[in-house]
Amino acid sequence: MTKVTIPIGPQHPLLKEPLSFLLTVEGEQVLESTLRLGYVHRGIERLCQERTYVQAVHLIERVCGICSHIHTTTYCQGVEALSGLQVPPRGLYLRTFLCELERIHSHLLWLGVLAKNMGFDTVFMYAWRDREIVLDVMEELSGGRISHAVNVIGGVRIDLDAAHTRSIQQRFDELERQVEKALALINNEPSLKARTQGVGLLSAEQVARYCVVGPVARASGVDVDLRRDFPRPPYDQLKFNVITHPAGDVWARTLVRVQEIRESLSLCRQILAQLPDGPTSVAMKRRVPPGEVVSRSEAPRGEVIYYIRSDGSDKPARLKIRTPTLTALITLADQLRGVNVADVPVVLSGVDLCIACADR
Amino acid sequence: MRELLAALFNLLIFPGLGFLFVCAMAFEWGDRRLIARFQGRVGPPWYQPFADLIKLLAKEDILPNDAEETTAAVLPMLSLAAVLTAALYVPVAGYAPLSFEGDLIVVLFLLSLPTLAHFLAGWVTVGVYSILGGNRSLLQFFSYEVPFLMALSTPAIFNGSWTIAEITARQTVWNIFILPLAFLVALVGLIGKLKRDPLDIPKAKSEMVAGPLTEFSGRKLALWRLSMDMQTVVGVFLLVNLFSGGASMLAPLAFVFKALAILALLSTASVLYARLRIDQLAHLGWRVLAPLALLQLLVTVWMGG
Repeated sequence: MTKVTIPIGPQHPLLKEPLSFLLTVEGEQVLESTLRLGYVHRGIERLCQERTYVQAVHLIERVCGICSHIHTTTYCQGVEALSGLQVPPRGLYLRTFLCELERIHSHLLWLGVLAKNMGFDTVFMYAWRDREIVLDVMEELSGGRISHAVNVIGGVRIDLDAAHTRSIQQRFDELERQVEKALALINNEPSLKARTQGVGLLSAEQVARYCVVGPVARASGVDVDLRRDFPRPPYDQLKFNVITHPAGDVWARTLVRVQEIRESLSLCRQILAQLPDGPTSVAMKRRVPPGEVVSRSEAPRGEVIYYIRSDGSDKPARLKIRTPTLTALITLADQLRGVNVADVPVVLSGVDLCIACADR
Repeated sequence: MRELLAALFNLLIFPGLGFLFVCAMAFEWGDRRLIARFQGRVGPPWYQPFADLIKLLAKEDILPNDAEETTAAVLPMLSLAAVLTAALYVPVAGYAPLSFEGDLIVVLFLLSLPTLAHFLAGWVTVGVYSILGGNRSLLQFFSYEVPFLMALSTPAIFNGSWTIAEITARQTVWNIFILPLAFLVALVGLIGKLKRDPLDIPKAKSEMVAGPLTEFSGRKLALWRLSMDMQTVVGVFLLVNLFSGGASMLAPLAFVFKALAILALLSTASVLYARLRIDQLAHLGWRVLAPLALLQLLVTVWMGG
């Protein structure tokens, strides 16, 4: 049979962001795949060095279109550590509250994209409908559905009152019901299982070799979660389970992510219940003392790392961002080898790509 | 003169082009609306299928340089013509002016032409997605067509006639109750034939872009869409006639109701499942549907039809 080269990208209905795959296909089987990246490289790291620490927050918000808040959180954590700022507990709790909301929103969005890519529009519509609940809450809190601009160096710029808390809790009840339905569907729906089980296999050894993080690693049975392993406040005060699954296929990733939504919901409820009183932020000094810091946090897709070096001026001397998607992208060559062409969309969406994050 | 007028009426208005066009638009709207309601959406207004069609007709018609332009232009017309011809022999509410002995076989043959046209369309427009999509539509054809044909010949054998109108008229109890397996296989086969979700494998958007029709645009794409819509109508009418006929029940209102019920079944199926892979469809076709259809056929023959 003759070999055909199928281009997936840079523009393709499958992809929500520009990325290019060249698949060498024999019949319906993929033999090899070549990856090209860099279509949305914006030079954010360099641009941040041209701006002051405060201005950079707004630029870093735009590294990712889905997990914008976790990027600014990680950055602000780093700068706060460098300048020795103590963020008030209420500020930390509210910051974490938004992190967990963002995780729910990101996982629901991903569930929708996966369903759409395997031709299951109903699940796509349901997942994105339920995601609206979270987006509404985030919009009420910050004024933005996706880009919240909530973090400032030294805390957050939002606050919650009692009436608003109650209204949010009521909507969480509805979301919880929908998440239970989604879980039942993933566990029972035969056509969904037929399309995801045994597809995109990644063993624990491969996860270790490629340094894969986040839900993809956890779905291969690797028990890593920065929130538990190196808990920053307030995670040390909160109870949650780290979800793992030994199967290592796309189905396991689906299950892990949807169960994580449930855990995040419980985290959100705990935060609302324990929310301490007090101010939400402290003022920062314009100049940051010389030094360097590595700031890490658990984004929806796994560990995100910021390296910041300061030379004592009001601008970062060097800023390096390492996002979880980059590690997942490397595994795709292995995952795609030998799969059916029809499974390519499932494999690609299974790792939850965020190209903007990877390209920066 | 009167005969000529009557023939023209049959061809152009009822049950030919005009009636079929209205039905196609109505079915597409009903289908989209129902799916939208299932998925928690509102769905399009009633004139959306018309608007889509007019928009496509008005758009620029481009093909790749290497494409065979004549064949690419003829194929959608061929597909539409085959469906329109088939429609003339499928009785509507018992009205079948052109019916003749053995018209079921002609209809089945004509209804398989659009799939072959899809395959050819993929080849002559020379895109990577087109060719792969074309291959897939042929593979899909081989998976569903045999069980589909077996399922549709079961009522013919049971009622002892290969004329659709006769089969309809001879049913005392609806065939759907006597031959449930055949109806089930025919329904799945129809989904495969119409390339509807969850068997839209040849045009699977997430990997094949639009399959064999990727390179089509403008008027040609409009004709393709129209022929698919009309094929839906003809397919649904065929199932109504073969499986839920009966002389007394064939009042126009009952006919419409039955057709809508089958359309609702198609919509429900497209909401309930994820798209199958081509190998999973082949498995379904040959290991599940074909034995079921064969079983039903053998039982029917054994009962002495």
